[in-house]
Amino acid sequence: MGPPLFAHPLIRAILLAGLYLHIPFCEHKCIYCDFYSIESLDPIDSFVAALKLEIAMQSGRSADPFETIFFGGGTPSLLAPRTVGEILELLHATFTIDAGAEVTLEANPGTVDERKLAELRSVGINRVSFGVQSFHEDDLKFLTRIHSADQARDSVRAARRAGFDNLSLDLIFSLPGQTMERWDANLRSAIALEPEHISCYSLIVEKGTPLARMVESHQVSTLPVESDARLYEHTMDVLLSAGFEQYEISNFARPGLRSRHNSNYWNHTNYVGFGPSAHSYWNGRRWWNISNLRTYLEKIDSGELPVAGEESLTSQQLLDEEVMLGLRSGGIDLDGIERRYGVRLEDGSGEELLRLVADGMAVRDGSHFRLTCRGYLISDEVSGSLLSRVEMV
Amino acid sequence: MEQVRNFCIIAHIDHGKSTIADRLLERTGTVTAREMKTNQVLDDMELEQERGITIKLHAIQMKYQARDGKPYTLNLIDTPGHVDFSYEVSRSLAACEGALLVVDASQGVEAQTISNLYLAIDAGLEIIPVINKIDLPSAMVDTVKHQIMDLIGCKDEEIILTSAKMKIGVDEILEAVVTRIAPPKGDPDAPLAALIFDSIFDGYRGSIVYVRVMAGTINEKDKIRFFATDKVFEAEEVGILDMRRVRTGTLSAGDVGYIIPGARDVHDTKVGDTVTNAARPADGPLPGYKEAKPMVFAGLYPVNSDNFADLRDSLEKLRMNDASLIFEPESSVALGFGFRAGFLGLLHMEIIQERLEREYEQELITTVPNVEYRVVKLNGDVVLVDNPAFMPEAGDIERVEEPIIKAQIIVPTEYIGNIMKLCTDRRGVYKNTTYIDPTRADLRYEMPLSEIIFDFYDKLKSTSRGYASLDYEFFENRESDLVKLDILLNGEPVDALSVIVHRERSYEWGKKLCAKLRKLIPRQMFEVVIQAAIGSKIIARDSISAMRKNVIAKCYGGDISRKRKLLEKQKEGKRRMKQVGRVEIPQEAFLAVLAMEE
Repeated sequence: MGPPLFAHPLIRAILLAGLYLHIPFCEHKCIYCDFYSIESLDPIDSFVAALKLEIAMQSGRSADPFETIFFGGGTPSLLAPRTVGEILELLHATFTIDAGAEVTLEANPGTVDERKLAELRSVGINRVSFGVQSFHEDDLKFLTRIHSADQARDSVRAARRAGFDNLSLDLIFSLPGQTMERWDANLRSAIALEPEHISCYSLIVEKGTPLARMVESHQVSTLPVESDARLYEHTMDVLLSAGFEQYEISNFARPGLRSRHNSNYWNHTNYVGFGPSAHSYWNGRRWWNISNLRTYLEKIDSGELPVAGEESLTSQQLLDEEVMLGLRSGGIDLDGIERRYGVRLEDGSGEELLRLVADGMAVRDGSHFRLTCRGYLISDEVSGSLLSRVEMV
Repeated sequence: MEQVRNFCIIAHIDHGKSTIADRLLERTGTVTAREMKTNQVLDDMELEQERGITIKLHAIQMKYQARDGKPYTLNLIDTPGHVDFSYEVSRSLAACEGALLVVDASQGVEAQTISNLYLAIDAGLEIIPVINKIDLPSAMVDTVKHQIMDLIGCKDEEIILTSAKMKIGVDEILEAVVTRIAPPKGDPDAPLAALIFDSIFDGYRGSIVYVRVMAGTINEKDKIRFFATDKVFEAEEVGILDMRRVRTGTLSAGDVGYIIPGARDVHDTKVGDTVTNAARPADGPLPGYKEAKPMVFAGLYPVNSDNFADLRDSLEKLRMNDASLIFEPESSVALGFGFRAGFLGLLHMEIIQERLEREYEQELITTVPNVEYRVVKLNGDVVLVDNPAFMPEAGDIERVEEPIIKAQIIVPTEYIGNIMKLCTDRRGVYKNTTYIDPTRADLRYEMPLSEIIFDFYDKLKSTSRGYASLDYEFFENRESDLVKLDILLNGEPVDALSVIVHRERSYEWGKKLCAKLRKLIPRQMFEVVIQAAIGSKIIARDSISAMRKNVIAKCYGGDISRKRKLLEKQKEGKRRMKQVGRVEIPQEAFLAVLAMEE
């Protein structure tokens, strides 16, 4: 006998859903970024037309309400507010959008001013996520960002004046040669702007990026793991003392102001992505779009979905993801996992669970098991370790 | 029988045995140049081709129209070219009347060649000296000629100069085989006596034995008996070995061919044994049969413990055509259920390991190899210990004896100093030196076998720029001050890492082993303390500090699949590790001792 039907992850997942739009344009592509985007802005119009067609193709997807919309990229703030408005209108016409939906747009501080932000707000954006990365000019230059630190500060203030009450800042730590003092200054500068949300990512050298080539040719060297760990520990110390809650490895929010869209990624909630390279997840099936604008346009033009690949997740994969994503965020529900997958983590990993608690890496409260700040540091190791000891039948 | 010649080739690895064999096959039309492609035909195991050396012997028949106008049947019996297989070499030599002694013109005579040459001379074979690779710029034809003349006392003009690559001298070799090697003797009407010089296993036909008929005749349907095992079978199929098996229905004195006896167990058909007719048996077996005696032992464990039965099946199949492989089940706290296997030597072990992995797709953890110790206990009991984990308690031991070998090392004189230092470091006892020629010395040592199964051969090569060569044979068991060194991880002993070492070197070993393990064991979520102990005494300590950070703190949007794939890889990596207490140990760690730097 399998687990009871009501507890099945596929059934659980249809309650709320998200929409993602990938806007694949940048004025300049940053050296570390491996998300799909192109540096030419010429094809924006044909892209928007295709994006609208793609949205229409998914019109039958669901009658249930979507509660989040997220414009990511690339640089979505390169779109004219009017265009953003048209897309939102189309989404509203095509799907049921919850009245209180979280509607986020990622913005590069070098591409917005108060007027543009006000227009974005008026067309329905209610949350802006600024890619700030650093408040040090030399860092920004190294990362090949197109904005200055002052521009970042100004745009956050402009967003406030434009009426946004839900702002997020992205920062990157573990830059080559980064000292504790310089990173601490970045955190303080970010806090001083009083955002509702801060994401802090560790610089990852991704294959194929200019940064990877710089590392390979020894132009720059990555930070040793000990320094990376200390910067990350300091991040948690500083943001938690400043009143932020850590609800995921890299994400911190004022109480009640977590990103609902990102949270959905971490608990197998359905989401549909539009635009090149966008990922979608729907009731245990995941697919991803072609990461090439030209091919994307051709596919849409010929009336086909621009899907590059898909997978139907096995129960084992769903379990792996649930544990991994749970441990990276708010924790896992041991009883829930047993109900949904028929697997008792305690059977194979009982001693490990105990040890993690004893070593201060995790906290257990009944059936709920979550990592502490110390545990977050080795979260990937913990998921691998717990999951390598259990086998689904 | 007058027009049959049975011969083999004696050569050091890389001196061109296979290339010469290929040329002979090509010249006699046994294979066409096209069939030859680029590969050497005689080495038909994938592994052999890759290593460029011949591991298992085979035989092949050629038809040759000689200059005297008569057609001849030439049986070339292949021989393995490595020190681990001297018994197999002796059996294939016993099947021949002559041997080509092939020496590389740029390398000269090597230790292995000399020992096999002596085996051939002892067996009464006619030796045809051949200097190969004479086209190489570095060829020292005159020097090598003198080495050979000194060695076998032949005349200058008896030495054939060839370049198998350039196809020079191939006809001369064929003519020499016909004119210098005696035809086989033996009475086809006498009771059957056929020497098994190799056996392979075929999944459909069972054991297939390669034989040289020394006397009598064998026909299909004959009831045949194997002397050593005293088993009786019916000869299902009899034939000769062309490029493949060619059924002839009969073989008689002087012939080389195969018999399929319908034996399902390879242990019924042992290399060196004698096949006779059950109804009309020979008086006794042919001389020279020996039970293969393993000298090196190691644990073979499946990476995934569920594959134990699979591994057993694979080992059993391998043993079908390698009677020198022995194994029995054992279990280890660290590794679970596996086998302790005995090998002729380290190369033999590596070959078995690789064949299990490639041909049988087994994923293996091999423990550090060791020799077999003879332990005399205070109560007079004698225990043979082939697994360090089973060494009796120190307090119960009166003495421990270890196998000692006689080593022969041939080395250019300028490297004598290096080699002598190496041998002394490995507890070698110097015996004597002779000079093969003014530039080459032949050093003799008595050494513990345990000292050469680690990395002695590599060291020998590296301290002599590749010029030194080694041959050895078992001499005797000798008492030595040996202790068992245990490795503990966070206080728990790892049985599969125990080694037996000489007391004087145990501290150094303990220290090095701990340091090596520190490099091989990945950081864990907690500190790992590595200790080396003799009994309850800790003699060395090292530690691996706890893992500092292992989390990808990256924005990955909705691309969860990519993240999950990393997790799946990590899970797989962890599953391949073995666990003692809470510590995960990678496979490489179990061979740490082998990779220890001096």
